[in-house]
Amino acid sequence: MTGEREAAPLIAEMPAPAALPRKSGEMVFHDEWERRAFAMAVSLAEQGAFEWSEFQQKLIAAISDAERDDPQQPSRGYYESWLVALEALLQEKELLPG
Amino acid sequence: MSNDHDNDHDHDHGGPPNPYHAASRSDDENRALEERVGRIESLLLEKGLVRQDALDRIADIYENDLGPMNGAKVVARAWVDAAFKQRLLEDASAAIGELGYGGLQGEHMVVVENTPEVHNVVVCTLCSCYPWPVLGLPPAWYKSPAYRSRVVIDPRSVLEEFGTAVDDDVEVRVWDSSAEIRYLVLPERPTGTETLTEDQLAELVERDAMIGVTRVAAP
Repeated sequence: MTGEREAAPLIAEMPAPAALPRKSGEMVFHDEWERRAFAMAVSLAEQGAFEWSEFQQKLIAAISDAERDDPQQPSRGYYESWLVALEALLQEKELLPG
Repeated sequence: MSNDHDNDHDHDHGGPPNPYHAASRSDDENRALEERVGRIESLLLEKGLVRQDALDRIADIYENDLGPMNGAKVVARAWVDAAFKQRLLEDASAAIGELGYGGLQGEHMVVVENTPEVHNVVVCTLCSCYPWPVLGLPPAWYKSPAYRSRVVIDPRSVLEEFGTAVDDDVEVRVWDSSAEIRYLVLPERPTGTETLTEDQLAELVERDAMIGVTRVAAP
């Protein structure tokens, strides 16, 4: 089982505020850890560890949390919120210790 | 005339500004985040919840396939839905927006249709203007001085180099993109694809066919 060969529209076309950061239509990662955090969430969803919509909800919550004080100056970047969402969902699903 | 062409540093003409892009993290912060991601990754790998090859594949697919995939869906829709095709040829920006692909910043999209009588090919002779919301980033050859000059002077030879033979009685039209107008070629639907679904058709449509240097091959 190698999973899907193509990007899933459910993920690729998430609407704002969770929409994937893009430049010229292509995805943008600033640092390697962002790429790895992205891949982990997508892979876990592909493997059925959770539904993509569950992750999306956590991501929206994390982004809105970061924007609480000032929507123009979020307290953390998109993939930092992504990581917060991933950690929260893994805790909830008891997939990680502690 | 826009001065867009005069500065050569931003010729993908950017995407919409995105507040999340701000890469304002310090090295220390980045290192801490890297460790956090590394810890989760090791645990997930150890438990067999994810596999390294799957992780590598996913990042690769999403980074490389997102742009042209949008254009392919526009083309497939036009092939199966005559009313959509009509709207696409009349007002491409609006029709493409119907499918949810936008992000253009004032650039006007124009779709030109290939027929048995006309073959269209797109270039940007001055730089590398490109319909990025539907095609992603331009390929290196699109930006090369050789392509930009030669496709205008001798399009048939350039097309031949891409393996695309165009009969003498077929008119070749070359469209010069600009900061204001972005062209997309609507390729001819290959014969023998009558039973395919819209999704299956979209899979046949490659980037180069939407620039007009190749045709869409039957499966």
